Amino acid sequence: MESKRQVTVEPSPLHDQAYSERPHDGAALNGHKPQVMDADRFHDASERILASIGQVIDGKADAAKLALTVLLAQGHLLLEDVPGVGKTLLAKTLARTVDCTVSRIQFTPDLLPSDVTGVSIYNQSSRQFEFRPGAVFANIVIGDEINRASAKTQSALLECMEEHQVTVDGRSYQLGLPFMVVATQNPIEMEGTYPLPEAQRDRFMARISMGYPDKDAEIEMLETHQASSPLVNVTPVVTANDVAAMIAAVQQVYVSTAIKEYTVAIGRATRDSARLRLGASPRSLLQLLRAAKATAALDGRDFVLPDDVVDVAESVLAHRIILDRKATSSGDTPQSIIRGILASLPVAQETPGQGRRDRHTA
Amino acid sequence: MTATSHRSPEPATQPGGKPGQDQPRRTQPRRPGPGLYPWVMAGSIAVAVLGAALSLNGVLRGWAWFMPLITTVVVVSLALAGLRALGARPILATLGSLASLTGVLSFIFCRQDSLAGFIPTPGTLTAVGRLIKRAGETVVSESAPVAPNAGIVFVMCACLGLLVILVDALAVPLAMPAASGIGLIAIMVVPATIKPQSVGMPGFLGAAVGYLLILGCSHWFAPDARFQTGTGRGSGQFRRSVVTGGLALALAMVVPLAIPGFETGTFPQGSRLSPWGTSNGLNPMITLGNSLRSPIGSGRITYATSSGSALYLRSVTIDHFDGETWAPDDRAAQRRTGADRIETGYSVQGDVVNAVTSVNAGLFTSPYLPVPFAPASVNGLNGNWTWDPQTLSIMSSETTTRAQRYVVFSAAPKVTAKALAQAAPTPKGISDDFLRIPNGLPEIVRQTADAVTRPAANNYAKALAIQKYLRSGEFTYSLQAPVQNGYDGNGLSVLADFLAVKSGYCVHFASAMAVMARAEGIPSRIAVGYAPGRLTGESVALVGQGSFPEYEVDARDAHAWPELYFEGLGWVPFEPTPSRGVVPEYASESSTAGNLSTNADEKDVPTTQAPPATAPVPLPGVDTPATTTASVNPYPAMIAIAAGVLLLIGFLCSPRLSRSMLRRRRLNRKPPGDSHDGPPGSADAAPQLAWDELQDLATDYGVESTPSETPRHFSAKLRSSPALGEVGGMDDAAHAAVASLTSDFERQRYGRPAETAPAAATRIAVVRESLRNNATWLVRFRADWLPPSMMRRWVHALGAPFRAVGALGKWLGWKVARVWRALRGLLPERR
Repeated sequence: MESKRQVTVEPSPLHDQAYSERPHDGAALNGHKPQVMDADRFHDASERILASIGQVIDGKADAAKLALTVLLAQGHLLLEDVPGVGKTLLAKTLARTVDCTVSRIQFTPDLLPSDVTGVSIYNQSSRQFEFRPGAVFANIVIGDEINRASAKTQSALLECMEEHQVTVDGRSYQLGLPFMVVATQNPIEMEGTYPLPEAQRDRFMARISMGYPDKDAEIEMLETHQASSPLVNVTPVVTANDVAAMIAAVQQVYVSTAIKEYTVAIGRATRDSARLRLGASPRSLLQLLRAAKATAALDGRDFVLPDDVVDVAESVLAHRIILDRKATSSGDTPQSIIRGILASLPVAQETPGQGRRDRHTA
Repeated sequence: MTATSHRSPEPATQPGGKPGQDQPRRTQPRRPGPGLYPWVMAGSIAVAVLGAALSLNGVLRGWAWFMPLITTVVVVSLALAGLRALGARPILATLGSLASLTGVLSFIFCRQDSLAGFIPTPGTLTAVGRLIKRAGETVVSESAPVAPNAGIVFVMCACLGLLVILVDALAVPLAMPAASGIGLIAIMVVPATIKPQSVGMPGFLGAAVGYLLILGCSHWFAPDARFQTGTGRGSGQFRRSVVTGGLALALAMVVPLAIPGFETGTFPQGSRLSPWGTSNGLNPMITLGNSLRSPIGSGRITYATSSGSALYLRSVTIDHFDGETWAPDDRAAQRRTGADRIETGYSVQGDVVNAVTSVNAGLFTSPYLPVPFAPASVNGLNGNWTWDPQTLSIMSSETTTRAQRYVVFSAAPKVTAKALAQAAPTPKGISDDFLRIPNGLPEIVRQTADAVTRPAANNYAKALAIQKYLRSGEFTYSLQAPVQNGYDGNGLSVLADFLAVKSGYCVHFASAMAVMARAEGIPSRIAVGYAPGRLTGESVALVGQGSFPEYEVDARDAHAWPELYFEGLGWVPFEPTPSRGVVPEYASESSTAGNLSTNADEKDVPTTQAPPATAPVPLPGVDTPATTTASVNPYPAMIAIAAGVLLLIGFLCSPRLSRSMLRRRRLNRKPPGDSHDGPPGSADAAPQLAWDELQDLATDYGVESTPSETPRHFSAKLRSSPALGEVGGMDDAAHAAVASLTSDFERQRYGRPAETAPAAATRIAVVRESLRNNATWLVRFRADWLPPSMMRRWVHALGAPFRAVGALGKWLGWKVARVWRALRGLLPERR
């Protein structure tokens, strides 16, 4: 920690700790071990965050909770829907609720990779190359309309999303904790979009479709959002350190063998499914389990239940699987197929008579 | 509730394992030595099969058959156990035991024909064919108990050996020890249907004890812990099982004593396992008893005769006596065609009594033509009929007597006592066949014959003495006694039994007299036909003879009587059967005729009852209304009803009993616990068991759980269903109980190890109470008496054989495909 390389960036709102050059170390993110938040405080903090988001986004408690889940599970979130349903609003609200650095990238076709990651420029006075961090150096990065950028720029996000670091000119810079990319995108059928490649999609932990609000929520929205932007009222309710401690608490959640087996069974079922061209990757199962852990923690439990896995499975898996042409033409959606798999897969509990049969055939 | 307050520091090695998937992996390394298990299991199966076979005593006479059976069963069991102990695959063990069965059967029954004494050769096959044919004849011809001849013993050994393999296959590889009872029942079905005294105590006890042993073995010794219940192996459970089993056995012994009708067989007595009861063309000696016992008089024949006196209709002659069975000798080579002129094969001196008889055979169907003795010509027959000059029996191999109307001119020699007394002592001009006594004549027959005929001077006197002896008060006419005492049938051994018991019917009297006569040097044979019948009250005009009264006979008049040959007179019929038929004048010596009655026809025919409504005016003395003899044995019906009621009660109670037993087993267990479902070594499987119980309870009351449902989801479903009632009311406790049971289960299954949940029995009881109160009476009734959770398990168990077959088919298909692929790989590659 003492050898931490400090980078001074004049206009950047980043804290000193927001990034470091130190290689990523899984156990001690950001170079130091965050404290583990205890259950009660965890509960309070999560309640505060959700309440704060709820102020702004009406009737989208599920989406808000999933966004928080992804944050706590150290994943990245992809918000996909038609324009104008509050994708960006959700991302911004989440970012603002947490007292941490936020940057926003509006993806356009002419955006360059260096705009995202940062660039080394020659400092005349110090006669040295100086790293000027890009927009990705923040705790929460909002990537608006990510599918409007070219594939090259999109993939600039890849490294930082997966490895929490940026490499520019052969130098790696560590990103801060928490780090979360919240990207929004319009449905790929819309004009002027470049669909995210599979590899990139796989790096997002979850994808949420916001969907239209229901009638009452919409009426209320019209009322409250009339005068001013609701974002004005949002104040940070937790600090970045709090979030780091919450993340550490999530990591401590116990996962039993049965849950692991169930998770693997889900993954195998997607790969064996005749209606899927591409099933869930091992990485997606890892993220599924992490999301499940965060869900369990948000539910105030220190162990994962099958319900947690089921809750997040659709959001975590649906954007990674690719349907068979036949399945597409028959009207299936990735969501419906995941739902079907979950409905047909025995949960990790022994149903009467089944255990014995298993042993018979063994 | 208090889910977290009862945590114990007991660590669990593997929490939340998924037994269904873990099990095979875990058991793999435990496989190396099956240890004692195969031997104990094979021993129990052998005990069970041999025990059940005890009940066959009485189907087979004596115990001589038991030794080969023991040998077979023990060898097959040993082969099975040995193969298992060596770790052979199940299919190999079964195949090996089949091979051992073949070997041991060859060794016991066809040693000469087999290679090295036990390896079957083509010669063995023919020998086996012979044995099976013999067994078939035995089954068809004799009624229980049959003499244990090689054929029947072979078939029995083969069947029971196969049963051992079947029971073993059910109990061990298919893991359905309970279903192995089917094999044991299969054994006992035979005595239950055949033996008058049904299965009997020893057989039942033996089978039950063996069955319990099988169940116990598969429970306690199963190598892969399939049915093992951890600490359940302790003495407590053993004691309980012994007490339960003993009680059930004792009940099974006592209940039949309390309910009448249990000690006799289920089927009408004396029935054989022959589907063709009164078949035609079969040995008439055998079908005769059945005809007599048949409750309805089938095969009615009417006839009118000019003879003026009672007339015997004679259809077959039995002259071929060998030790096993007596049968007519058709003498196909000597038969002559054309029944319009029949000549006796011997000379007759003296007067002849001529008679004309018109016979209408009606529905009676037989290849043998019933005619009065001795036919001189038969007119009006359709078809091709042949006759045998030796016996004068008229038969056809192409047509039958059915719907035949014919006129017989008969010429019987006029037999008088004087002529008989003067007959030459050594008959000439008669085949030695009629004097031949089969080997192995029981001593009692010869002794009796000698004793009875000692004072007699000539053949006639001897014959009279024998007849007098048989008609004396010592002998009784009974259709049932031979069946009950096991000597129904024909043959020398039967004869011995008959002379000892002194009760039987015409077949026995006739054959006794015939054999005794032969023993005394008088040629003899047995005629089978009909005793004089009853008047129908109508008269029939015979061409050129005038009008004569019509008689009728049917199956119940079937009769057998001996004919003795006297030089110069030919074949002379006698009537040794008491209370049947008519004793001829020459045979009723004035000194002996005192106690003879000619009018006691059918006095003692218990199971035959003439239908009085249609009976014509009877001849004097014919068929006194059978008031003393109940028509049909009432026992079978009573047994059937009693057994049915018991079965029904047991059947109706069994779901409820097993359901509540399951509940008790799940809830009343001691804290250290058996590892019912959880992985071995887990501290506490109680929440799992309680959860199973909760699921079954919900199923019983109509809330189904599906495999893809998470515990929490199921719990929510149960709590939101109307079955549990609403929250906030009186069902609050039940809701809380469900919630806490769910969380206990979740914690035990998915949470960190080392957590002990509090006892679940009270919470389950609360839930149950609430479910009961909210259910309609119909649902309550179903949950009590036909719990769906139980029914589902049973249906599942019933489907097991089909699934096994399916799995086997799949496996075979897979193997075949693999072999095919391998073979294709061997083929030279095409360029």
